[in-house]
Amino acid sequence: MADSYFGGVWAARHFWIHLAMSDLRSRWRRSFFGILWTLIQPLGMTLLISFVFSNMFHTSIREYAPYILSGIVVWDFVVACAIGGSLSFVQADAYIKQYGHPLAIYTLRAVLTNLVVLLLATSGLVVWVLAVMPDRFGWPWLAATTIFPIVALIMWPSSTLLAYVATRFRDLPHALNLILQAMWFVSPIYFEEKAFRGAKLDYLVDYNPLYHLLQIVRAPLLQGEWPTTTNYAYCFGLVAVLSFAAWLFGRSVEKKVIFYL
Amino acid sequence: MSNLISMKNVDLSYASTAFKERSLKTAMTNLLRPKNRRIEVQDIKALKNVSVDIRSGERVGLLGHNGAGKSTFLKVVAGLYPISAGTRTVRGVVRSMFDLSLGFEPDATGRENILYRGLLLGLTPKFMRAIEDEVVAFADLGEFIDYPIKTYSAGMLVRLAFAITTAVGGDVLLLDEVIGAGDANFMLKARQRIRELIEKSEVLLLASHDFATLRSTCERGLVFHHGELRFDGAMDACIDEYKQLNGLAQ
Repeated sequence: MADSYFGGVWAARHFWIHLAMSDLRSRWRRSFFGILWTLIQPLGMTLLISFVFSNMFHTSIREYAPYILSGIVVWDFVVACAIGGSLSFVQADAYIKQYGHPLAIYTLRAVLTNLVVLLLATSGLVVWVLAVMPDRFGWPWLAATTIFPIVALIMWPSSTLLAYVATRFRDLPHALNLILQAMWFVSPIYFEEKAFRGAKLDYLVDYNPLYHLLQIVRAPLLQGEWPTTTNYAYCFGLVAVLSFAAWLFGRSVEKKVIFYL
Repeated sequence: MSNLISMKNVDLSYASTAFKERSLKTAMTNLLRPKNRRIEVQDIKALKNVSVDIRSGERVGLLGHNGAGKSTFLKVVAGLYPISAGTRTVRGVVRSMFDLSLGFEPDATGRENILYRGLLLGLTPKFMRAIEDEVVAFADLGEFIDYPIKTYSAGMLVRLAFAITTAVGGDVLLLDEVIGAGDANFMLKARQRIRELIEKSEVLLLASHDFATLRSTCERGLVFHHGELRFDGAMDACIDEYKQLNGLAQ
Protein backbone atom coordinates (compact mmCIF):
# COMPACT_ATOMS: atom_id res chain seq x y z
CA MET A 1 0.00 0.00 0.00
CA ALA A 2 2.81 2.37 0.97
CA ASP A 3 4.36 1.92 -2.44
CA SER A 4 1.26 2.95 -4.36
CA TYR A 5 0.52 5.71 -1.88
CA PHE A 6 3.80 7.45 -2.57
CA GLY A 7 3.34 6.63 -6.22
CA GLY A 8 0.17 8.70 -6.01
CA VAL A 9 2.02 11.53 -4.30
CA TRP A 10 4.63 11.48 -7.05
CA ALA A 11 2.02 11.30 -9.80
CA ALA A 12 0.33 14.42 -8.37
CA ARG A 13 3.58 16.37 -8.11
CA HIS A 14 2.57 18.98 -10.68
CA PHE A 15 -0.53 19.66 -8.66
CA TRP A 16 1.00 20.14 -5.22
CA ILE A 17 3.93 22.09 -6.60
CA HIS A 18 1.41 24.37 -8.27
CA LEU A 19 -0.56 24.74 -5.02
CA ALA A 20 2.57 25.59 -3.05
CA MET A 21 3.68 28.12 -5.65
CA SER A 22 0.28 29.80 -5.70
CA ASP A 23 0.36 29.95 -1.88
CA LEU A 24 3.70 31.74 -2.07
CA ARG A 25 2.47 34.10 -4.77
CA SER A 26 -0.56 35.11 -2.75
CA ARG A 27 1.56 35.46 0.40
CA TRP A 28 3.88 37.92 -1.26
CA ARG A 29 1.54 39.63 -3.67
CA ARG A 30 -0.37 42.01 -1.49
CA SER A 31 2.40 43.70 0.46
CA PHE A 32 4.80 46.50 -0.31
CA PHE A 33 7.93 44.64 0.75
CA GLY A 34 6.66 41.39 -0.75
CA ILE A 35 9.24 38.68 -0.51
CA LEU A 36 11.44 40.87 1.70
CA TRP A 37 9.01 40.47 4.60
CA THR A 38 10.25 36.93 4.98
CA LEU A 39 13.68 38.37 5.80
CA ILE A 40 12.67 41.50 7.65
CA GLN A 41 10.25 39.90 10.08
CA PRO A 42 12.67 37.45 11.80
CA LEU A 43 15.48 40.02 11.68
CA GLY A 44 13.35 42.62 13.42
CA MET A 45 12.26 40.12 16.08
CA THR A 46 15.86 39.09 16.60
CA LEU A 47 17.04 42.65 17.13
CA LEU A 48 14.32 43.25 19.66
CA ILE A 49 14.68 40.02 21.60
CA SER A 50 18.47 39.96 21.62
CA PHE A 51 18.56 43.53 22.87
CA VAL A 52 16.33 42.64 25.82
CA PHE A 53 17.77 39.21 26.59
CA SER A 54 21.41 40.16 26.29
CA ASN A 55 20.86 42.84 28.89
CA MET A 56 18.85 40.52 31.12
CA PHE A 57 21.29 37.62 30.95
CA HIS A 58 24.44 39.70 30.46
CA THR A 59 25.55 37.96 27.30
CA SER A 60 27.20 39.54 24.29
CA ILE A 61 24.63 40.58 21.72
CA ARG A 62 27.10 39.82 18.94
CA GLU A 63 27.00 36.09 19.66
CA TYR A 64 23.50 35.93 21.04
CA ALA A 65 21.65 37.61 18.17
CA PRO A 66 22.46 34.95 15.53
CA TYR A 67 21.61 32.30 18.12
CA ILE A 68 18.15 33.80 18.47
CA LEU A 69 17.76 34.27 14.74
CA SER A 70 18.54 30.61 14.10
CA GLY A 71 15.99 29.70 16.76
CA ILE A 72 13.35 31.99 15.27
CA VAL A 73 13.61 30.81 11.68
CA VAL A 74 13.49 27.09 12.53
CA TRP A 75 10.80 27.49 15.19
CA ASP A 76 8.67 29.63 12.86
CA PHE A 77 8.88 26.83 10.33
CA VAL A 78 7.80 24.24 12.90
CA VAL A 79 4.86 26.37 14.09
CA ALA A 80 3.74 27.29 10.57
CA CYS A 81 3.82 23.64 9.49
CA ALA A 82 2.02 22.44 12.62
CA ILE A 83 -0.75 25.05 12.65
CA GLY A 84 -1.03 25.62 8.90
CA GLY A 85 -0.53 21.95 8.16
CA SER A 86 -3.24 20.88 10.57
CA LEU A 87 -5.73 22.96 8.55
CA SER A 88 -4.58 21.72 5.18
CA PHE A 89 -7.30 19.10 4.64
CA VAL A 90 -10.02 21.50 5.72
CA GLN A 91 -8.67 24.14 3.33
CA ALA A 92 -8.33 21.71 0.45
CA ASP A 93 -11.85 20.29 0.86
CA ALA A 94 -12.84 21.43 -2.63
CA TYR A 95 -10.03 19.38 -4.14
CA ILE A 96 -10.49 16.41 -1.83
CA LYS A 97 -14.16 16.18 -2.78
CA GLN A 98 -13.32 16.26 -6.47
CA TYR A 99 -10.42 13.92 -6.81
CA GLY A 100 -8.96 11.15 -4.69
CA HIS A 101 -5.34 12.22 -4.50
CA PRO A 102 -3.36 10.91 -1.51
CA LEU A 103 -4.17 13.35 1.29
CA ALA A 104 -0.53 13.75 2.25
CA ILE A 105 -0.06 15.98 -0.80
CA TYR A 106 -2.03 18.72 0.95
CA THR A 107 0.23 18.71 4.00
CA LEU A 108 3.22 18.44 1.68
CA ARG A 109 1.96 21.65 0.08
CA ALA A 110 2.09 23.41 3.45
CA VAL A 111 5.54 21.99 4.26
CA LEU A 112 6.89 22.95 0.84
CA THR A 113 5.56 26.49 1.08
CA ASN A 114 7.11 26.96 4.50
CA LEU A 115 10.34 25.35 3.37
CA VAL A 116 10.80 28.06 0.75
CA VAL A 117 10.18 30.68 3.45
CA LEU A 118 12.72 28.93 5.72
CA LEU A 119 15.25 28.84 2.90
CA LEU A 120 14.95 32.60 2.43
CA ALA A 121 15.00 33.32 6.14
CA THR A 122 18.16 31.22 6.68
CA SER A 123 19.91 33.17 3.95
CA GLY A 124 19.49 36.18 6.24
CA LEU A 125 21.15 34.21 9.03
CA VAL A 126 24.04 33.15 6.77
CA VAL A 127 24.70 36.74 5.70
CA TRP A 128 24.57 37.90 9.32
CA VAL A 129 27.06 35.28 10.54
CA LEU A 130 29.39 35.95 7.61
CA ALA A 131 29.38 39.65 8.41
CA VAL A 132 29.71 39.42 12.18
CA MET A 133 31.61 36.18 12.80
CA PRO A 134 33.44 35.37 9.53
CA ASP A 135 35.89 33.08 11.38
CA ARG A 136 33.12 30.44 11.72
CA PHE A 137 33.02 29.82 7.98
CA GLY A 138 34.30 26.38 6.95
CA TRP A 139 33.49 22.86 5.77
CA PRO A 140 31.01 22.13 8.58
CA TRP A 141 28.67 24.62 6.91
CA LEU A 142 27.87 21.86 4.44
CA ALA A 143 26.20 19.99 7.29
CA ALA A 144 23.94 22.96 7.96
CA THR A 145 22.21 22.42 4.61
CA THR A 146 20.94 19.03 5.85
CA ILE A 147 18.51 20.93 8.09
CA PHE A 148 16.17 21.43 5.12
CA PRO A 149 15.47 17.78 4.24
CA ILE A 150 15.48 16.79 7.91
CA VAL A 151 13.05 19.44 9.08
CA ALA A 152 10.79 18.70 6.11
CA LEU A 153 10.84 14.98 6.89
CA ILE A 154 9.93 15.72 10.49
CA MET A 155 7.13 18.17 9.74
CA TRP A 156 5.50 16.34 6.83
CA PRO A 157 4.34 13.36 8.92
CA SER A 158 3.64 15.62 11.91
CA SER A 159 1.38 17.95 9.99
CA THR A 160 -0.31 14.98 8.31
CA LEU A 161 -1.08 13.47 11.70
CA LEU A 162 -2.36 16.81 12.96
CA ALA A 163 -4.44 17.34 9.83
CA TYR A 164 -6.20 13.98 10.32
CA VAL A 165 -7.11 15.00 13.86
CA ALA A 166 -7.97 18.62 13.00
CA THR A 167 -10.46 17.50 10.36
CA ARG A 168 -12.33 15.65 13.09
CA PHE A 169 -11.82 18.23 15.85
CA ARG A 170 -11.91 21.67 14.32
CA ASP A 171 -10.68 23.45 17.44
CA LEU A 172 -7.38 21.57 17.45
CA PRO A 173 -5.32 24.55 16.19
CA HIS A 174 -6.21 26.50 19.35
CA ALA A 175 -5.09 23.65 21.58
CA LEU A 176 -2.03 23.26 19.40
CA ASN A 177 -1.06 26.88 19.99
CA LEU A 178 -0.91 26.21 23.70
CA ILE A 179 1.09 23.01 23.31
CA LEU A 180 3.59 24.67 21.00
CA GLN A 181 3.98 27.56 23.40
CA ALA A 182 4.74 25.11 26.20
CA MET A 183 7.26 23.31 23.99
CA TRP A 184 8.91 26.60 23.14
CA PHE A 185 9.20 27.49 26.80
CA VAL A 186 11.03 24.33 27.84
CA SER A 187 13.38 24.24 24.85
CA PRO A 188 16.62 26.06 24.10
CA ILE A 189 15.09 27.97 21.20
CA TYR A 190 15.57 31.57 22.33
CA PHE A 191 17.02 30.78 25.74
CA GLU A 192 20.61 29.70 25.73
CA GLU A 193 21.70 26.14 26.35
CA LYS A 194 23.86 27.22 29.25
CA ALA A 195 20.89 28.87 30.96
CA PHE A 196 19.21 25.45 31.18
CA ARG A 197 22.41 23.70 32.25
CA GLY A 198 23.09 26.39 34.85
CA ALA A 199 19.68 25.70 36.39
CA LYS A 200 20.39 21.94 36.45
CA LEU A 201 17.81 21.36 33.71
CA ASP A 202 20.22 19.40 31.53
CA TYR A 203 17.53 16.89 30.54
CA LEU A 204 15.57 19.63 28.80
CA VAL A 205 18.54 20.01 26.50
CA ASP A 206 20.01 16.52 26.18
CA TYR A 207 16.75 14.64 25.57
CA ASN A 208 15.06 17.41 23.63
CA PRO A 209 14.76 16.64 19.91
CA LEU A 210 14.31 20.35 19.23
CA TYR A 211 17.74 21.05 20.69
CA HIS A 212 19.33 18.40 18.49
CA LEU A 213 17.47 19.68 15.45
CA LEU A 214 18.67 23.23 16.08
CA GLN A 215 22.22 22.01 16.62
CA ILE A 216 22.32 20.96 12.97
CA VAL A 217 22.32 24.66 12.01
CA ARG A 218 23.85 26.07 15.14
CA ALA A 219 26.91 23.85 15.47
CA PRO A 220 28.25 24.70 12.00
CA LEU A 221 27.09 28.32 11.65
CA LEU A 222 27.60 29.58 15.19
CA GLN A 223 30.39 27.38 16.50
CA GLY A 224 32.13 26.37 13.27
CA GLU A 225 31.80 22.70 14.26
CA TRP A 226 30.19 19.61 12.75
CA PRO A 227 26.90 18.52 14.33
CA THR A 228 27.39 15.38 16.41
CA THR A 229 26.12 11.93 15.50
CA THR A 230 23.83 12.18 18.53
CA ASN A 231 22.23 15.26 16.95
CA TYR A 232 21.57 13.32 13.77
CA ALA A 233 20.46 10.22 15.64
CA TYR A 234 17.77 12.21 17.46
CA CYS A 235 16.58 13.82 14.23
CA PHE A 236 16.35 10.59 12.26
CA GLY A 237 14.79 8.84 15.22
CA LEU A 238 12.10 11.51 15.28
CA VAL A 239 11.56 11.16 11.53
CA ALA A 240 11.15 7.39 11.92
CA VAL A 241 8.75 7.60 14.88
CA LEU A 242 6.57 10.30 13.29
CA SER A 243 6.48 8.64 9.89
CA PHE A 244 5.45 5.34 11.46
CA ALA A 245 2.77 7.04 13.54
CA ALA A 246 1.40 8.90 10.51
CA TRP A 247 1.37 5.70 8.47
CA LEU A 248 -0.34 3.73 11.23
CA PHE A 249 -2.96 6.39 11.86
CA GLY A 250 -3.47 7.23 8.20
CA ARG A 251 -4.08 3.58 7.37
CA SER A 252 -7.34 3.64 9.29
CA VAL A 253 -8.51 7.24 8.84
CA GLU A 254 -7.23 8.43 5.44
CA LYS A 255 -10.28 7.21 3.51
CA LYS A 256 -12.76 8.58 6.04
CA VAL A 257 -11.47 12.15 6.05
CA ILE A 258 -13.84 13.09 3.21
CA PHE A 259 -16.87 12.44 5.45
CA TYR A 260 -15.67 15.04 7.92
CA LEU A 261 -15.15 17.84 5.41
CA MET B 1 -17.20 -6.95 -23.48
CA SER B 2 -15.68 -6.83 -20.06
CA ASN B 3 -17.11 -5.05 -17.06
CA LEU B 4 -15.59 -1.68 -16.33
CA ILE B 5 -17.51 -1.22 -13.12
CA SER B 6 -18.55 -4.01 -10.83
CA MET B 7 -20.20 -3.56 -7.43
CA LYS B 8 -21.19 -6.49 -5.25
CA ASN B 9 -23.37 -6.06 -2.17
CA VAL B 10 -22.00 -2.60 -1.51
CA ASP B 11 -22.99 -0.92 1.75
CA LEU B 12 -21.97 2.56 2.71
CA SER B 13 -22.69 4.35 5.94
CA TYR B 14 -21.72 7.79 7.07
CA ALA B 15 -20.44 7.68 10.63
CA SER B 16 -22.60 9.84 12.86
CA THR B 17 -19.43 11.27 14.43
CA ALA B 18 -18.97 13.18 11.19
CA PHE B 19 -21.74 15.59 12.14
CA LYS B 20 -21.68 15.60 15.91
CA GLU B 21 -18.76 16.31 18.23
CA ARG B 22 -17.01 18.62 15.84
CA SER B 23 -14.65 19.95 18.48
CA LEU B 24 -12.49 18.72 21.33
CA LYS B 25 -14.66 20.83 23.61
CA THR B 26 -17.94 19.10 22.75
CA ALA B 27 -16.24 15.70 22.81
CA MET B 28 -15.14 16.37 26.37
CA THR B 29 -18.37 17.92 27.61
CA ASN B 30 -20.25 14.95 26.16
CA LEU B 31 -18.18 12.62 28.31
CA LEU B 32 -19.31 14.51 31.39
CA ARG B 33 -22.98 14.72 30.41
CA PRO B 34 -25.25 12.03 31.93
CA LYS B 35 -25.98 9.24 29.48
CA ASN B 36 -29.76 9.69 29.24
CA ARG B 37 -29.37 13.35 28.33
CA ARG B 38 -27.33 12.65 25.21
CA ILE B 39 -29.01 13.03 21.88
CA GLU B 40 -28.53 9.85 19.90
CA VAL B 41 -27.62 10.47 16.30
CA GLN B 42 -27.64 7.33 14.19
CA ASP B 43 -25.17 6.48 11.45
CA ILE B 44 -26.69 7.10 8.04
CA LYS B 45 -26.91 4.15 5.69
CA ALA B 46 -26.53 5.84 2.32
CA LEU B 47 -26.20 2.67 0.24
CA LYS B 48 -27.72 -0.69 1.12
CA ASN B 49 -26.64 -3.89 -0.58
CA VAL B 50 -26.10 -2.42 -4.04
CA SER B 51 -24.91 -4.76 -6.80
CA VAL B 52 -24.35 -3.48 -10.35
CA ASP B 53 -22.22 -4.45 -13.33
CA ILE B 54 -21.60 -1.89 -16.05
CA ARG B 55 -19.90 -2.75 -19.31
CA SER B 56 -17.87 -0.68 -21.69
CA GLY B 57 -19.97 1.49 -24.00
CA GLU B 58 -22.96 1.79 -21.68
CA ARG B 59 -24.71 5.04 -20.89
CA VAL B 60 -26.42 4.74 -17.56
CA GLY B 61 -28.82 7.22 -15.99
CA LEU B 62 -29.35 7.36 -12.24
CA LEU B 63 -32.76 8.30 -10.89
CA GLY B 64 -34.02 8.77 -7.38
CA HIS B 65 -35.43 11.24 -4.91
CA ASN B 66 -33.13 13.69 -3.13
CA GLY B 67 -30.99 11.71 -0.74
CA ALA B 68 -31.72 8.39 -2.44
CA GLY B 69 -28.03 7.62 -2.88
CA LYS B 70 -27.33 8.68 -6.48
CA SER B 71 -24.46 11.02 -5.67
CA THR B 72 -23.10 8.69 -3.05
CA PHE B 73 -23.09 5.91 -5.63
CA LEU B 74 -21.18 8.11 -8.08
CA LYS B 75 -18.65 9.03 -5.41
CA VAL B 76 -18.13 5.36 -4.61
CA VAL B 77 -17.50 4.69 -8.30
CA ALA B 78 -15.06 7.61 -8.34
CA GLY B 79 -13.23 6.05 -5.40
CA LEU B 80 -13.81 9.07 -3.18
CA TYR B 81 -15.96 7.32 -0.58
CA PRO B 82 -14.81 4.18 1.21
CA ILE B 83 -17.42 1.41 1.24
CA SER B 84 -18.42 -0.22 4.52
CA ALA B 85 -19.08 -3.66 3.06
CA GLY B 86 -19.06 -5.49 -0.27
CA THR B 87 -16.62 -5.22 -3.14
CA ARG B 88 -15.98 -2.46 -5.62
CA THR B 89 -14.00 -2.91 -8.83
CA VAL B 90 -13.55 -0.04 -11.25
CA ARG B 91 -11.11 -0.37 -14.10
CA GLY B 92 -9.82 2.49 -16.19
CA VAL B 93 -9.45 6.19 -15.62
CA VAL B 94 -12.45 7.85 -13.96
CA ARG B 95 -13.36 11.45 -14.75
CA SER B 96 -16.00 13.09 -12.64
CA MET B 97 -17.97 16.30 -12.66
CA PHE B 98 -19.62 16.75 -9.31
CA ASP B 99 -19.99 20.11 -7.68
CA LEU B 100 -18.65 22.24 -10.48
CA SER B 101 -17.65 25.37 -8.68
CA LEU B 102 -15.40 23.22 -6.49
CA GLY B 103 -11.75 23.10 -7.34
CA PHE B 104 -11.75 26.33 -9.29
CA GLU B 105 -9.69 29.27 -8.13
CA PRO B 106 -12.04 32.26 -8.23
CA ASP B 107 -9.29 34.85 -8.60
CA ALA B 108 -7.59 33.14 -11.51
CA THR B 109 -8.74 33.54 -15.10
CA GLY B 110 -10.62 30.87 -17.01
CA ARG B 111 -7.49 30.07 -18.97
CA GLU B 112 -5.41 29.61 -15.80
CA ASN B 113 -8.13 27.46 -14.31
CA ILE B 114 -7.93 25.13 -17.29
CA LEU B 115 -4.36 24.42 -16.27
CA TYR B 116 -5.19 24.17 -12.56
CA ARG B 117 -8.10 21.81 -13.09
CA GLY B 118 -5.93 19.69 -15.34
CA LEU B 119 -3.25 19.47 -12.67
CA LEU B 120 -5.91 18.53 -10.12
CA LEU B 121 -6.91 15.69 -12.42
CA GLY B 122 -3.33 14.46 -12.36
CA LEU B 123 -2.24 15.69 -15.79
CA THR B 124 1.00 17.38 -16.76
CA PRO B 125 1.35 21.10 -17.55
CA LYS B 126 2.69 20.13 -20.97
CA PHE B 127 -0.41 18.10 -21.82
CA MET B 128 -2.71 20.85 -20.59
CA ARG B 129 -1.00 23.46 -22.74
CA ALA B 130 -1.43 21.17 -25.73
CA ILE B 131 -5.21 20.89 -25.26
CA GLU B 132 -5.81 24.43 -24.00
CA ASP B 133 -6.96 25.82 -27.35
CA GLU B 134 -9.38 22.98 -27.85
CA VAL B 135 -10.90 23.52 -24.40
CA VAL B 136 -11.19 27.26 -24.97
CA ALA B 137 -12.89 26.70 -28.30
CA PHE B 138 -15.36 24.21 -26.87
CA ALA B 139 -16.25 26.26 -23.79
CA ASP B 140 -16.81 29.19 -26.20
CA LEU B 141 -16.78 31.89 -23.53
CA GLY B 142 -15.44 34.62 -25.83
CA GLU B 143 -13.28 37.21 -24.11
CA PHE B 144 -14.43 35.95 -20.69
CA ILE B 145 -11.85 33.16 -20.86
CA ASP B 146 -9.27 35.76 -19.78
CA TYR B 147 -11.45 37.13 -16.95
CA PRO B 148 -11.27 35.89 -13.35
CA ILE B 149 -13.82 33.12 -13.00
CA LYS B 150 -15.50 34.80 -10.05
CA THR B 151 -17.13 36.95 -12.72
CA TYR B 152 -18.68 33.87 -14.38
CA SER B 153 -22.31 32.86 -14.24
CA ALA B 154 -23.29 29.33 -13.15
CA GLY B 155 -23.82 28.31 -16.76
CA MET B 156 -20.41 29.60 -17.82
CA LEU B 157 -18.72 27.64 -15.04
CA VAL B 158 -20.49 24.51 -16.18
CA ARG B 159 -19.34 25.06 -19.74
CA LEU B 160 -15.75 25.51 -18.70
CA ALA B 161 -15.75 22.52 -16.33
CA PHE B 162 -17.50 20.34 -18.87
CA ALA B 163 -15.07 21.38 -21.60
CA ILE B 164 -12.05 20.54 -19.45
CA THR B 165 -13.35 17.29 -18.03
CA THR B 166 -14.44 15.90 -21.37
CA ALA B 167 -11.34 17.10 -23.22
CA VAL B 168 -8.91 15.28 -20.98
CA GLY B 169 -10.68 12.01 -21.67
CA GLY B 170 -10.98 8.95 -19.51
CA ASP B 171 -12.71 5.59 -19.50
CA VAL B 172 -15.51 6.36 -17.07
CA LEU B 173 -17.30 9.72 -17.08
CA LEU B 174 -19.43 10.61 -14.06
CA LEU B 175 -21.87 13.53 -14.21
CA ASP B 176 -24.03 14.68 -11.34
CA GLU B 177 -27.00 16.85 -12.46
CA VAL B 178 -24.72 19.35 -14.06
CA ILE B 179 -25.18 19.54 -17.77
CA GLY B 180 -28.65 20.99 -17.28
CA ALA B 181 -27.13 24.36 -16.40
CA GLY B 182 -25.84 25.16 -19.88
CA ASP B 183 -28.01 27.03 -22.39
CA ALA B 184 -29.74 25.27 -25.29
CA ASN B 185 -26.88 25.91 -27.67
CA PHE B 186 -24.37 24.43 -25.29
CA MET B 187 -26.57 21.46 -24.44
CA LEU B 188 -26.56 20.51 -28.11
CA LYS B 189 -22.77 20.60 -28.19
CA ALA B 190 -22.53 18.78 -24.87
CA ARG B 191 -24.77 15.96 -26.09
CA GLN B 192 -22.74 15.73 -29.27
CA ARG B 193 -19.56 15.44 -27.25
CA ILE B 194 -20.97 12.85 -24.87
CA ARG B 195 -21.99 10.80 -27.92
CA GLU B 196 -18.43 11.06 -29.22
CA LEU B 197 -17.06 9.94 -25.89
CA ILE B 198 -19.40 6.98 -25.79
CA GLU B 199 -18.38 6.00 -29.30
CA LYS B 200 -14.85 5.70 -27.99
CA SER B 201 -16.37 2.92 -25.87
CA GLU B 202 -16.42 4.74 -22.59
CA VAL B 203 -18.88 4.52 -19.76
CA LEU B 204 -21.13 7.40 -18.79
CA LEU B 205 -22.99 7.58 -15.50
CA LEU B 206 -25.41 10.50 -15.29
CA ALA B 207 -27.45 11.41 -12.23
CA SER B 208 -30.33 13.70 -13.10
CA HIS B 209 -33.93 14.61 -12.45
CA ASP B 210 -34.53 15.68 -16.02
CA PHE B 211 -36.36 12.88 -17.85
CA ALA B 212 -35.75 14.39 -21.30
CA THR B 213 -31.99 14.52 -20.80
CA LEU B 214 -31.97 11.02 -19.37
CA ARG B 215 -34.06 9.62 -22.26
CA SER B 216 -31.91 11.23 -24.91
CA THR B 217 -28.53 10.33 -23.40
CA CYS B 218 -28.96 7.03 -21.60
CA GLU B 219 -30.44 3.70 -22.60
CA ARG B 220 -30.08 2.01 -19.24
CA GLY B 221 -31.35 3.33 -15.94
CA LEU B 222 -30.89 2.65 -12.26
CA VAL B 223 -33.49 3.73 -9.71
CA PHE B 224 -32.33 4.42 -6.19
CA HIS B 225 -34.80 4.62 -3.34
CA HIS B 226 -33.68 5.26 0.25
CA GLY B 227 -30.24 3.85 -0.43
CA GLU B 228 -31.44 0.71 -2.17
CA LEU B 229 -31.12 -0.07 -5.84
CA ARG B 230 -34.76 -0.77 -6.72
CA PHE B 231 -34.66 -1.07 -10.48
CA ASP B 232 -32.09 -1.77 -13.17
CA GLY B 233 -33.21 -1.85 -16.78
CA ALA B 234 -34.23 0.11 -19.87
CA MET B 235 -34.51 3.86 -19.41
CA ASP B 236 -38.22 4.16 -20.22
CA ALA B 237 -39.20 1.41 -17.80
CA CYS B 238 -36.87 2.97 -15.30
CA ILE B 239 -38.64 6.33 -15.46
CA ASP B 240 -42.01 4.60 -14.96
CA GLU B 241 -40.65 2.75 -11.93
CA TYR B 242 -39.27 5.98 -10.51
CA LYS B 243 -42.63 7.71 -10.91
CA GLN B 244 -44.41 4.80 -9.25
CA LEU B 245 -42.03 4.70 -6.30
CA ASN B 246 -42.39 8.39 -5.68
CA GLY B 247 -46.12 8.57 -6.25
CA LEU B 248 -45.86 10.59 -9.44
CA ALA B 249 -47.66 8.15 -11.74
CA GLN B 250 -50.98 9.30 -13.21
